[in-house]
Amino acid sequence: MQQDEVYEKLSLVYDPELDQSLTELEFIYGVDIDGSEVTVTFRLPTYWCSPNFAFLMASDIRERVLEIPWVEQVTIVLADHSDSEAISHGVSQGKSFQETFPGLSTEELDALRSRFRRKSFISRQERLYRHLVRIGLSDADIVALTVDSLKQLEGINAEGQLLVQKYLSIRDELGYANTPESLAFVQLDGTPIPVGQIAEYMSQSRKTRVAQEVNGVYCRGLLKTRYDHEMTEKWRA
Amino acid sequence: MFRTQTGEEVFVIDAHIAWWDGSRDNQLNIHGEQFINCFYDYHKNLSPQDRLWPREKFYKYDKDSLIQDVFIKGYADMAIFQPVPLIEFYKDGFGDVAKNATLIEEYPGRFIGNGYFDPRDGERGLETLQYMAETYHLKGVKLYTAEWRGNSKGYKLSDDWSYRYLAKCEELGIKNIHVHKGPTITPLNRDAFDVADVDDAASAFPNLNFIVEHVGLPRLEDFCWIATQEPNVYGGLAVAMPFIHSRPRYFAQIISELLYWMNEDRILFGSDYAIWEPDWLIEKFMAFELPEDIAEETGTSLTLPIKKKILGENAARLYDIDIEKQRALIQGDKLSVAAVQQR
Repeated sequence: MQQDEVYEKLSLVYDPELDQSLTELEFIYGVDIDGSEVTVTFRLPTYWCSPNFAFLMASDIRERVLEIPWVEQVTIVLADHSDSEAISHGVSQGKSFQETFPGLSTEELDALRSRFRRKSFISRQERLYRHLVRIGLSDADIVALTVDSLKQLEGINAEGQLLVQKYLSIRDELGYANTPESLAFVQLDGTPIPVGQIAEYMSQSRKTRVAQEVNGVYCRGLLKTRYDHEMTEKWRA
Repeated sequence: MFRTQTGEEVFVIDAHIAWWDGSRDNQLNIHGEQFINCFYDYHKNLSPQDRLWPREKFYKYDKDSLIQDVFIKGYADMAIFQPVPLIEFYKDGFGDVAKNATLIEEYPGRFIGNGYFDPRDGERGLETLQYMAETYHLKGVKLYTAEWRGNSKGYKLSDDWSYRYLAKCEELGIKNIHVHKGPTITPLNRDAFDVADVDDAASAFPNLNFIVEHVGLPRLEDFCWIATQEPNVYGGLAVAMPFIHSRPRYFAQIISELLYWMNEDRILFGSDYAIWEPDWLIEKFMAFELPEDIAEETGTSLTLPIKKKILGENAARLYDIDIEKQRALIQGDKLSVAAVQQR
């Protein structure tokens, strides 16, 4: 089904700050298909959500949906936002961030995106670390884990498996080696975490993870409040 | 005044209240409507279901509601106005220093009225600030770095003009700089994560106190990062507080991170009235305990002495209030009497 194909692509588009997909977050309002043209409408928790993030999401949606072989044109509609028109038109016409907001920005959004991907790396790693500690691994065990031994860990439940998967996937995305013998727990610069420093290191990471989670709860709540009666019936043709 | 079950008295200063006018009559354009609607969404999202206001009242409420909610129901001994003008969205401003002053006068010893400035107002703005400081005896200002001014959709505390205004504040005895650091708007490509401006300003002006309202939410970690390094940076709990009802575990995480990265002396309670009513915030806060696992993770705890600091003692110190003297001053005034009758 064509709709399903589009939604599958949309599930790969992430809110850069919340590290959750737009489908999980219920930001996607609707998908319209007309031949080879797809229109995706999405909306955000508040009218004032940062335009740079909104732009990133809009342009990622467009890029992902264009990957579908039968799709030739993608129109993005960002609804109910302070920059709805500029972003919807800019992205749909394939304009860059600077072209969409001439005079108001000084650079493209790559630095922003990678900054938040790195934060997500830290959060996913910290969550995994806490889980491993809870199931009985020592800090010494953890710093010694390779990608392979992480995947083969015994006594790990479904929740843990998901955390491992998410961590390995972002490692992959950010270009860390994922060969079986690669060290599983590394710092942002790829260096190992000395066992004596892991507690301190993870406290630092904890605040990133807490901020991200609180943010997620905050945003989801605001979205639901905003579109209360509509949230229960997801618009899907 | 909040009295615990064991008879302990807690002096309460609500360090973030407003008396706004977001009514349709005052809305200058669609943004005026959108802004107050956004506030209303925050109100709806995080308030207990039985404490929701009708939209019309939320747009513009009268002084009796404010007095009742903040002082009589709301346990506050004192409250601090943190006005925001938003003159590009509202004809007569969203918050108004002169209007607030009428309440300050009517209830002596109960209110502190802060002012505001916008560094994009240049030389003229400096004069206005001086006038405001002298007329209203300002000890603090509220800054909204995302406020619009003509073509500009925001400014930074690290801008040259900001420095001039902060230097002026120091000269005028305005010690407390409350900065809203929450969902941000522009400059478009930087502000999302950039708290460098608070960090920068706090380092440049060690004699000023920078109270980051909303503790930077959603940028909590960025706030913690700078607060841990800058002794003159404080966290205002407005917006974080209401999580105590809908998401108590997240509230626990927020407050324990704040205690971990800063300390108990640099956190200020604020209800952000009228987005949320202070009474249920304070009641739940006083009853609140950190879940064991979170307390263990950070090694922090929320004891009664710490709660007292957060609810009033820290703000008192910033605003040079001698709590005992103030208690004596307001004792038996019409608000105390009304509060006693209420209970």
